[in-house]
Amino acid sequence: MKRRDFLKTSIAASAAILGTTELSADVHQARNYNNEISEVNFPEKARMIVHSDRPPLLESPMSTFTRGITENDKFFVRWHLPDIPQHYDPDKYTIEINGLVEKELKITLKELKTGFEQVEVAAVQQCGGNSRSSFSPITGGIQWGNGAMGCAKFKGVRLRDILNRAGLKKGASWVGFNGRETAAYYKTPDFVRELNMDELDDHVILAYEMNGEDLPYLNGYPIRLVIPGYYSDSWVKMLSHITVTNKYKHLFFMDKGYRIADNKCECETPDHLYKTTKPITIMNVKSIIGFPENGMKMYHNSEIVVRGVAWDDGAGISKVMVSTDNGKTWDEALLKQENGRYAYTEFRYAFKPAKYGKLTFMAKAINNLGAEQPLSKDIGWNRGGYKYNGIHEVTVEII
Amino acid sequence: MKKLLLITILLTGSLFAQVKGNIEVPYIPYKVKMGKGFTTVQANCLTCHSFGYVLNMGKQPKSFWKGKIHKMVADFKAPITKKDQAIIANYLTEYYGNGKLK
Repeated sequence: MKRRDFLKTSIAASAAILGTTELSADVHQARNYNNEISEVNFPEKARMIVHSDRPPLLESPMSTFTRGITENDKFFVRWHLPDIPQHYDPDKYTIEINGLVEKELKITLKELKTGFEQVEVAAVQQCGGNSRSSFSPITGGIQWGNGAMGCAKFKGVRLRDILNRAGLKKGASWVGFNGRETAAYYKTPDFVRELNMDELDDHVILAYEMNGEDLPYLNGYPIRLVIPGYYSDSWVKMLSHITVTNKYKHLFFMDKGYRIADNKCECETPDHLYKTTKPITIMNVKSIIGFPENGMKMYHNSEIVVRGVAWDDGAGISKVMVSTDNGKTWDEALLKQENGRYAYTEFRYAFKPAKYGKLTFMAKAINNLGAEQPLSKDIGWNRGGYKYNGIHEVTVEII
Repeated sequence: MKKLLLITILLTGSLFAQVKGNIEVPYIPYKVKMGKGFTTVQANCLTCHSFGYVLNMGKQPKSFWKGKIHKMVADFKAPITKKDQAIIANYLTEYYGNGKLK
């Protein structure tokens, strides 16, 4: 039995536990997670908030989110399995395209860079569990702060062009992506993602460059998938195989991970989990204040310029509103949009404090379809802690 | 023009890796509470992930930790015996519990 076949049966066997809960509704303790910037430096990375060394889980510090493009060395890192290959020879690296194709392909990194049209797209890459620690009671998954995200200019080749080169056979409707990270145990599911052909557009690329440099190793060197507008769970790193199929394969990371209640509010309670779930797919409208940060002391006579970033799934941000009176009134921030609709919109808002003491800034993004961020108290809970987009609040002290 | 062409060839032609040699992901010595059951935690849990995964959750009730252990066994296929599962649950509840069962 091949490993894949085994996985299919073992996952079917474990499907029975879907719908159980490990939570209780009365867990309302203040959380005290480590959001300190670590002294330990990871390969090619600046100082980051480190949640784990193996697999590496690195979160960007909040100060990263004052600018529209996130530097590679501050870009967040999330791996699912403990064993990451330590070295690739760029001259020998290949990706395989197989399955329901006319001609199976092995493409080297060099061929990818020279044999296809080279394209660029700036896109926000955000973990579906970004801001998860804002949910209460605690949900499953890594308890990220707001820094499991970034925005970069990715360069590479359209997935469409590669599939066209291979030629799709009749019935080709799903594409599976596998990377080179591996588990400690043979039976642990591979991190394979599947996308329906209908979800693929010309913006989906196989990227080998980020902000004009090689992808950092921990961000998927030498090739990763980039799916603008989508949460980054399917942006497979160290891409090795692209497999075209006619049928959706039931895989752990598709059937159990990265899913949310399949109802209108995408919400449920720990005691009443919603029966059906759906993949998290496209990002909702959100903004984060990068400066100032919670707890900062600000001089009363100085003009404060609040800075942050806003984004959605590519519909585009139309406004970011800022409130300094706990949401009673809202004022429009200045926007800077220079990297296209999938990238961060930068916002800034100048404010001169009139009073001493505590001052709270709130930022609310609104997109071109009129969707706006809810207040944090209005966010519905979900067991996986996905898609949190509550209005960000930052409280400082004016001295 | 010739110069421009040469630059283009250099840019697309050579493939130098940004990093020379192997990548080493650093090892973090987490401040772990030593106590009854830790060797079992070490042998089972830390094969797949660092202790950071435990600390990241904060202090939680016993039911939470039991749910996590179940997830590792059922979803990630960690071969943890029933006996070891109980030892791990007790360790986590003792040292990373919040005093509640649920």
